[in-house]
Amino acid sequence: MQYSQKVLDHFMHPKNVGKMENPDATATEGSPACGDQVTVYLKVDEEKHTIEDISFLSYGCASNIATASIITELAKGKSLDEAKAITWRDAMEALDGLPPVKVHCSVLAADTLQTAISNYEIAHGLKEVPNFSKDTILEELKKIIYPKVGEDIVSLKMVKYVGLTDGDVLIDLNMMSFDQWRDNVAEEIREHLEKYPEVKNIQINFP
Amino acid sequence: MKPGRIYLDNCITTRPAPEVLEAMKPYFEEQYWYPGNFISTGEAINDAILGFGSTVAKAIGTNASELHFCSGGTLANNMAIKGLATAYGKAGGHVIVSVVDYPDLLTNAAYLEKQGFEVSYLSADGEGFINLQELKSAIRHDTFLFMTTAVNHVVGTIQPLAEIKAILEAADHKIYFHLDAGQAFGKIPLDVNALGVDTMSISAHKIHGPQGIGALYQRSGIKLGQLIHGVKRVDNLQTGGLNIALIAGFAKAVELTFGDFAASTAHLRELSDYLLSRLEAEIPEIELNGPRGDKRAPHNINVSIDYIEGEAITMMLDVLGITVATGSACASQGLKANYVLMAMGKNHVQSHGSMKFTLSRYTTKEDIDETVAALAGISKELRERSPLYNATHKER
Repeated sequence: MQYSQKVLDHFMHPKNVGKMENPDATATEGSPACGDQVTVYLKVDEEKHTIEDISFLSYGCASNIATASIITELAKGKSLDEAKAITWRDAMEALDGLPPVKVHCSVLAADTLQTAISNYEIAHGLKEVPNFSKDTILEELKKIIYPKVGEDIVSLKMVKYVGLTDGDVLIDLNMMSFDQWRDNVAEEIREHLEKYPEVKNIQINFP
Repeated sequence: MKPGRIYLDNCITTRPAPEVLEAMKPYFEEQYWYPGNFISTGEAINDAILGFGSTVAKAIGTNASELHFCSGGTLANNMAIKGLATAYGKAGGHVIVSVVDYPDLLTNAAYLEKQGFEVSYLSADGEGFINLQELKSAIRHDTFLFMTTAVNHVVGTIQPLAEIKAILEAADHKIYFHLDAGQAFGKIPLDVNALGVDTMSISAHKIHGPQGIGALYQRSGIKLGQLIHGVKRVDNLQTGGLNIALIAGFAKAVELTFGDFAASTAHLRELSDYLLSRLEAEIPEIELNGPRGDKRAPHNINVSIDYIEGEAITMMLDVLGITVATGSACASQGLKANYVLMAMGKNHVQSHGSMKFTLSRYTTKEDIDETVAALAGISKELRERSPLYNATHKER
């Protein structure tokens, strides 16, 4: 398992790293418990709605730092709408790929950028606070990477059912008991959903 | 003598000593024979193996008749644990191990559970010492096996082996005692009779011997169920072929290590004390994992560097030509925080930011100076990038 030269370059010499004074928007995703956390700061041109400046801080491994670096490079100078289209797959591609167990790092970086943009839009009346629904859960599940192959669990059709009743979330996952990644995936799902105040209880079922 | 790289991951494997390579050569080139009877080639190998066996056995206070050469620590552990369970364990019998033990022991414990044995897992304290009160109360009438790791493979904690022996001997029936001495062999004195162990595993490549060779000590009179069935060459328990050259290398490594045992362990202790004092002087907000002083093995220093993650640190040191190890989940195959540190009550950040330096007879003061200087720079750089550090250190 090896990193590409691009990952190493962005890890050793990251672009746009450091805390920003007086940002227009910011977001922090991840947690020290998972071993990775990213903060993204945005300066946005109010007239043109473009990202004038962007920076990040990262607590995490080499790929965490590299993916945060590349995501800021991809977003810098873009309009908010263009930046909203940036996904973890774009970050992966720009870095010439990542080892499968490290793909979740690119998701975290892309996710933090999207949350920062969303925070800006909500604060500036450009959009409403979205309602929490089954779709919100599904969007979050698309950010959970199955570490064995480096693809998200929704694309891999591992999510059999998603239910939401009065804050109780029910998820049926198609993962066998002998799958060494089952605990990792379940833990990550919980972490992604627990940040929503609407979620009261999460039940994850396996065959 | 010294390759360009600074290698401080000697608890995983060590550089084979040049003397070891020399000692192995004749058994590859000339005396490539197998043991046998009545003919000179076979008898020569018989004698050689006996000689090498005596050398290795003497280092742990025994003789060659109580030693089985095998492929390494893991096979030795399996031969002992499964062998004792077969010989002395009744279905539903009880085994005791601790949560901080080496994976060989824990995976074997899990296997025994699946076979119908019951296993008690002792907890450990904040420095990695197993809980002896729990050991006392865990012993039942059907407990037949206690196993532990003499020196912890993560934090270097030396378990209180004399106290353990006393507790096991105070039981009203025989409890067999298996000791994994992989990290302890060559680092702390190990006398099988003083320790009171029934079986003990040791390995060559942790003491500058070749990879792929180790040994199991089996106390005379102790039965072991056979794990590997096959042709008998010199050993009734460990059947099949032997690699004579590796055994020769093992014996040479033992000669080198134990020829000046007091001086070489004192050298390691001095260097690791120096490493710790330099780390504490150069890098703010780090803490030592495991005990300070004589209760930790002389070659191990494990520290947690707050606010930053170990895989990133390891990668940066690697680029600078320095090999160290980390307990970070991000660097592990299973993306899990180090189980020993977590069992010691450390939090995730402390585990992810843990760095393990293990020294050898080839480590120099200059290696340590260079490593600490590099690590100080890397820690500063990564902390400047870290949201956890920035959140708590506003004015810098």
